[in-house]
Amino acid sequence: MSGKLRKTFTDPLSENNPITIQILGICSALAVTVQLRTAIVMALALTTVTAGSNLIISLLRRGIPPRIRLIVEMVVVSTLVILADQFLRAYLFDVSRQLSVFVGLIITNCIVLGRLEAYALQNPPLPSLLDGLGNGLGYGAVLVLVAFIRELLGSGRLFGAAVLPEHLPRNGLALLAPGAFIVLGLLIWTQRTLTKHFDSE
Amino acid sequence: MAERKHGDVYTVLYAAGVCVACSLALAAAAAGLRPRQERMAELDRRFNVLKAFGAPVTDAAGRRIGSDRIEQLYSTHVRERVVNAQTGQIIADRTPGGLSPAEQAAGRLLPLYEWIENNRVERYAFPVSGKGLWSTIYGYLALDGALENVVGLTFYKHGETPGLGGEIESEWFQSQFRGRRLIVPEGPLPIVIAKGAASEAERTDPNRVVVDGISGATLTGRGVMEFLNADIRRYAAFIRSRRGG
Repeated sequence: MSGKLRKTFTDPLSENNPITIQILGICSALAVTVQLRTAIVMALALTTVTAGSNLIISLLRRGIPPRIRLIVEMVVVSTLVILADQFLRAYLFDVSRQLSVFVGLIITNCIVLGRLEAYALQNPPLPSLLDGLGNGLGYGAVLVLVAFIRELLGSGRLFGAAVLPEHLPRNGLALLAPGAFIVLGLLIWTQRTLTKHFDSE
Repeated sequence: MAERKHGDVYTVLYAAGVCVACSLALAAAAAGLRPRQERMAELDRRFNVLKAFGAPVTDAAGRRIGSDRIEQLYSTHVRERVVNAQTGQIIADRTPGGLSPAEQAAGRLLPLYEWIENNRVERYAFPVSGKGLWSTIYGYLALDGALENVVGLTFYKHGETPGLGGEIESEWFQSQFRGRRLIVPEGPLPIVIAKGAASEAERTDPNRVVVDGISGATLTGRGVMEFLNADIRRYAAFIRSRRGG
């Protein structure tokens, strides 16, 4: 893999992470991170959709009539999301019930459409696919990290199995939406400090 | 527009092509995955029947039991029956799965689930469903063998807002019903879902079953309250006949 391609893939994992740097996809990052299992499934679903839609739109990019560009993009994204949802219902029924509307809401996730508009429309299929994978996994990495902290502190479990001793108190706040905001905020702070990313004035 | 590379005909044809391709993909996936989805949905339904009955549906670590165990518990303990709504008598050779949609809608034949232990019926459960705020909610209500106290209530299918109306699925909401005296000799008591927390006086009211509502989901609560009471009334004849009243 050449340096440029590798950078396309690795950039969104950290330096240009969709959640912690671009602050996109926050809604689902807060909603599905009570447990690791749901977070991982959500991350995989979103990665599949961003990678798939990036690839498809990149293949179509020269043929798409500019006037209906966004509509075509949305149709492709919606189709992929419904496919992902159908697969989850068939193979991971209980997780799909916990994720409820949030799989469907991938359609409106800014990361997906953002990558199509900003990258796939101008770039060939292979880099677009890598860009989609990178952004999906970058999103997923943050989700998993947040879910790890919330599930551990909130319910003393990891993947549903008890890991903390019974006598340690649990932090109920970690299970609630405000807890997710705090964890995510701290993560954004840590990551921006590490990558020296500061918003210009 | 500076440049019109594509004409109108091209644009329309292109849109049609994309739509056809996407519909084909969706139709193929829906058709191909349906049998498996239905099996999973049926398994989830059975899981919730077991949960309403108070069966051990989680293992020692608090995780959901697997599909084999669900099937095993269900086949050994649960008997599916159909009840005549007017007479309250059980109709032999019919099962809830065999009821046609028309029969279900007419409401003359009602599904009933019995929990069998040592060849005796220990508990009864029946489906409850109705409109919440956004969606139809489906669940099960289980009563003890004397048809007096609630054994459990579960909701397993709904489209309410997660975190608000969706809380009807949560343990704290459902556990409030457990052990409550619902049926008195005169008939079923009304279930009341309070707006927010129920007061102590309401909670101990012997003529009603009052539980805490979900804050932010008053309308979901109202829907649940209405269909629970209506569905319990549908089984009034059955309850009377069993209680010998």
